Amino acid sequence: MKRLFTLLAALLLIVSCTSDRSKYLKVYNWGDYIDESLIGEFEQWYYEQTGEEVKIIYQTFDINETMLSKIEKGEEDFDVVCPSDYIIERMLREDLLLPIDRDFGDTPNYIDDNIAPYIRECFDKIDGSGKNANDYSVGYMWGTAGILYNKKHVAEEDLGSWDIIRNPKYANKIFIKDAPRDVYCSVLIYLKQDELREGKITLEELMYDSSDASIEAVENYMKEVKGLVAGWEADFGKDQMIQERGWINLTWSGDAVWAMNEADPIGVELGYYVPDEGSSVWFDGWVIPKYAKNPKAAKYFINFLCIPENALRNMEVVGYVVANGGDIILDAIQDEKYEAIDLTYFFGPEADSVHVNPVLYPDQSVIDRCEMMHDWGDETPKLIAMWSRVKGNESSNVVTIVIICAFVALLIVFALRRSISKSRRGAATKKGKKPVKK
Amino acid sequence: MKKFLAKAYIWFLLVILYAPIIFIIIFSFSESKVLGNWTGFSTNLYTNLFSPQAASATSLFRAIYNTLIIALISAFVSMILGAIAAIGIYNLRSRNKNVMLFLNSIPIINPDIITGVALFLLFIFLHVSQGYTTVVLAHITFCTPYVVLSVMPRLTQMNPNLYEAALDLGATPMQALRKVLIPLLRPGMISGFILAFTMSLDDFVVTFFTRGTIGLETLSTYIYADARKGGLTPELRPLMTIIFISILILLVIFNIRKAKSEKQLAK
Amino acid sequence: MNKRSSWSLPYLIFLVIFVVLPLILVLVYAFQDAQGRFSFENITRFFSDKDALSTFALSLEIAILNTLICLLLGYPAAWILANKKYNRSAVTVVLFILPMWINALMRTLATAELFNVLGVTLGKGTLLFGMAYDYLPFMIYPIYNILSRMDPSYAEAAEDLGATPWKVFWKVTVPLSIPGVISGVMMVFMPTVSTFAISEFLTNNKIKLFGTIIQENINSSMWNYGSALALIMLVIIGVTSLFSNDSKNAEGGLV
Repeated sequence: MKRLFTLLAALLLIVSCTSDRSKYLKVYNWGDYIDESLIGEFEQWYYEQTGEEVKIIYQTFDINETMLSKIEKGEEDFDVVCPSDYIIERMLREDLLLPIDRDFGDTPNYIDDNIAPYIRECFDKIDGSGKNANDYSVGYMWGTAGILYNKKHVAEEDLGSWDIIRNPKYANKIFIKDAPRDVYCSVLIYLKQDELREGKITLEELMYDSSDASIEAVENYMKEVKGLVAGWEADFGKDQMIQERGWINLTWSGDAVWAMNEADPIGVELGYYVPDEGSSVWFDGWVIPKYAKNPKAAKYFINFLCIPENALRNMEVVGYVVANGGDIILDAIQDEKYEAIDLTYFFGPEADSVHVNPVLYPDQSVIDRCEMMHDWGDETPKLIAMWSRVKGNESSNVVTIVIICAFVALLIVFALRRSISKSRRGAATKKGKKPVKK
Repeated sequence: MKKFLAKAYIWFLLVILYAPIIFIIIFSFSESKVLGNWTGFSTNLYTNLFSPQAASATSLFRAIYNTLIIALISAFVSMILGAIAAIGIYNLRSRNKNVMLFLNSIPIINPDIITGVALFLLFIFLHVSQGYTTVVLAHITFCTPYVVLSVMPRLTQMNPNLYEAALDLGATPMQALRKVLIPLLRPGMISGFILAFTMSLDDFVVTFFTRGTIGLETLSTYIYADARKGGLTPELRPLMTIIFISILILLVIFNIRKAKSEKQLAK
Repeated sequence: MNKRSSWSLPYLIFLVIFVVLPLILVLVYAFQDAQGRFSFENITRFFSDKDALSTFALSLEIAILNTLICLLLGYPAAWILANKKYNRSAVTVVLFILPMWINALMRTLATAELFNVLGVTLGKGTLLFGMAYDYLPFMIYPIYNILSRMDPSYAEAAEDLGATPWKVFWKVTVPLSIPGVISGVMMVFMPTVSTFAISEFLTNNKIKLFGTIIQENINSSMWNYGSALALIMLVIIGVTSLFSNDSKNAEGGLV
């Protein structure tokens, strides 16, 4: 028996020993954020380009902070990760990233060929303590934050503002993305709209605003919203909107497009707008953490995804828009059913009047009122704490203390009764009587 | 009258207990993406489940496969480890015996989130990369106590002289073990195995904390990840139906056999 | 036979590594700050964080309510099932036990979906209902077990001595079934206090339970605070389980 056990233990150990780590590429990406067939194709492509074998281990996450803390702790050795803009900022400041060189040998450099000028500009603005984000990351997907709504059930006059999330008409039909930073910025923009319009502050300044006064203002606003909310969603919002269990969803443009496409065939009509007061624009980009064990395959992977055909496939499957520009993509996204909009900021001078889905690629006028969010550094816990208070359970101090005390009291009562009956039984046995027990 | 009330109460509870399950079973036969929207009878969900092309079906099957393998390995190792442990504990002096039994009961009493977090910290501390091995080890940890508790009654009910008698009659300790002890313990070992297997199959929290980041999914973690996106996805409906039917069949078979053996005993 | 006691040694080593050591680690992490120095800051943080405290209280409240609901609904059901006058069918008993074997997450999701279809807003009410639904079989099973194996002669003797059926029930049946009740209460209360996935699905994330904050902290690599929270839960569990240990005959086992 003992031998069998040791044998099994040995087997387990053997099974657990992964072979050569350099043959693996550990990818850490958002859930549902890639065309999965590309994963296998990359392994093939990598072999063709370099003659080396690689096997992808693909892991997903759905919250930025979870992913960040894993990278910070250093226990994980992911090779290539897809964080959001402000996380990239933070990673740069904390010196967690390797620069992405463009040395691909004979393979063409799709990264620099196609990245849109707008993306490049925004990445320049990422404040990475002297390091330029363009050297350390490559844009993957981007979008805006806004309101997804149900055309049938939401009145037209209510559209256009962030304040729709506080409209009691739609109580219990409102879903809010469980993303503290995005929601905070949206609400703050709404609250400060007068000052923005009068030019007293800029949108960019607001994105850095972590003052206690602002936090309190947003918190109070959100407390009013809380009673109307049907759910804080990380991912299930689009499904709820399609099923018409929700009529309003504070979400991202990519989720909106996905929802709109899925809802159409079943007769549900959804729309999306970026509020007039202004909004945030966000980017996800690929980075190579400094603990990566296979940086070479990592940068080839990034390059692979920048190939226009692959980028288009990702767009198709995921619903978001890629950071890659270029003619091939511009051709693919045009569709006469949309009105003409100005996309020169993304595709260059020829794209001043192209028929493209405005939810996917916002018109210049929308971009003008959007700004990228920034990392708050050491002020971040204030945001998380505020969000916790907003979402949290609101029993007052008194109720809390009463419940805990009642529970402890119950336990003490039980303990006393037990010790009394035990001593009684003990006394009975001493007298020679058998205790009645079942 | 009393009888009627009693029966009504039972049936009322059963209806509530089975309403969601029946609801899902009914809708597993419709292809509608939205639950509650009957779009006509179709077994497409079932065929999709078994078709090898659908990408989601393969990851679901991988998860099921992982779940079964992990459960089989864990239950088997737990059974052996637990049986050996039970024999050893049985033979201990009273004070040591109580200590071992107390330690044994800790994984049973502990809520799974504590077990999960504690084991997670253990693997971090030992710098063991988390994946298949850690999950199996974790499952063995919370399964073995149940095996011990299943085998112990057999030992206490066993006539201690049988083993001595075998030795007196010339058997070596090994032979006595194999021919006397093991057969007597076997029912306990088997029920321990089944119990361990079930606990491992159903586990979610411990697996969730100990599976690391290599993308290992078991059925429970797969459902959890999937559900965060969109509740009970259509592909899970036929799965639930199949699980329900299989368990129903198993339990019915088990009960028929039990009734048969009871009848035989009565004779 | 005493040589055989050494057979318990491998298991002892196993238990020390995989049960004792992890719990000690939880203790250690709970009292460390981010740099690894000994510190009470995690504990003090918990007791000063109004949000964490009210989540804790809410989890206790829900656990107690859920246990009571399961007890109130489950005891009569178990009694009826075990009573030969009202139920002779083993199939009915099996029907109550069957849901236990279906993956708990699936059952919870099914319940949530049913609520969605019926248009019931997800919130505290649905959470309690869903939990009671999930855990009712766990309450019924041990009580049924002990009631069905109960020696009828106690009840008969009481009747012979002139007690009304009502008195028989309260003075004989119930006290004798206490071990089963405690078993059921334990099997319902403890998982409820520590659950996290169920509340996420049954309330669309609107209600956060204690298990959820532990999970969030561990997942965000805030291991120290997470361990402190786990430690607090462990204390509660440890205290409540002291009541069940006496009646759970450790050698009697499960079968």
